[in-house]
Amino acid sequence: METKVSTHRGVNVLSISGEIDMYSSPQLRDELMGLIHRKVPVLFVDFANVSYIDSSGIATFVEGLKGIISYGGTLKFIGISKKIMEIFTFTKLGKVFKIYESFDDALHSA
Amino acid sequence: MKDRAIITVPSHPKYLSLVRDVTARMGDLFGMTESETEDVKLAVDEACSNVIKHAYRGDIGKKIVVKIRLAKKRFEVTIEDNGLKADEESIKGRNLEDVRPGGLGTHLIKKAFQVYAFDLRKKKGNRLKLIKYRSENGDKGINS
Repeated sequence: METKVSTHRGVNVLSISGEIDMYSSPQLRDELMGLIHRKVPVLFVDFANVSYIDSSGIATFVEGLKGIISYGGTLKFIGISKKIMEIFTFTKLGKVFKIYESFDDALHSA
Repeated sequence: MKDRAIITVPSHPKYLSLVRDVTARMGDLFGMTESETEDVKLAVDEACSNVIKHAYRGDIGKKIVVKIRLAKKRFEVTIEDNGLKADEESIKGRNLEDVRPGGLGTHLIKKAFQVYAFDLRKKKGNRLKLIKYRSENGDKGINS
């Protein structure tokens, strides 16, 4: 798994590629919680190149969501594949996270 | 020669991808749909992650044995360790409505497999048996 943080049209974007599992999720957690500790107001997570996620990865994002909500920030997911969306839906997190098809959809949403 | 694969890996999370690859390949050989293969791959990953976290308490120097057997009507996975006995209460999973980190692994395992049972005859460590029965629509593979 690799992560990259960038700013696109004024929004912080965490782009992830590869597999998120028990081995890689600590690295993801460091990156995600680092941004949250800096209190970024809005953070987009781009899943377009994520091929796999397990429960440790999902737990990392639940922790991140709780962290960002604690100071009034917003976390949005973009580019989620059908198979990863199925996992979010099954675990009833599809409605907990703000999920959009594209960067533009996320940018223009409330 | 029976249709089976046996792999032994260290209890280090970096080997989970290897377990996933073998599981997915065996799912293909069984004739599972892509969706079913994804489910069993995730389930076996979650079960091995549980071994690392709970049975071995994060000790990366132990051993996990994963056996996958393709029978005519079922896809069987056995996962063995020599760690602490599983406390089924602590790994049964949280209520899915109660949103918090953790507690999803067992739900994901039970989504993929109809049978999830610890073999209580194993004296030291754990032997988890997972069985997925051949479905009507998918699974047109090796033994059909």
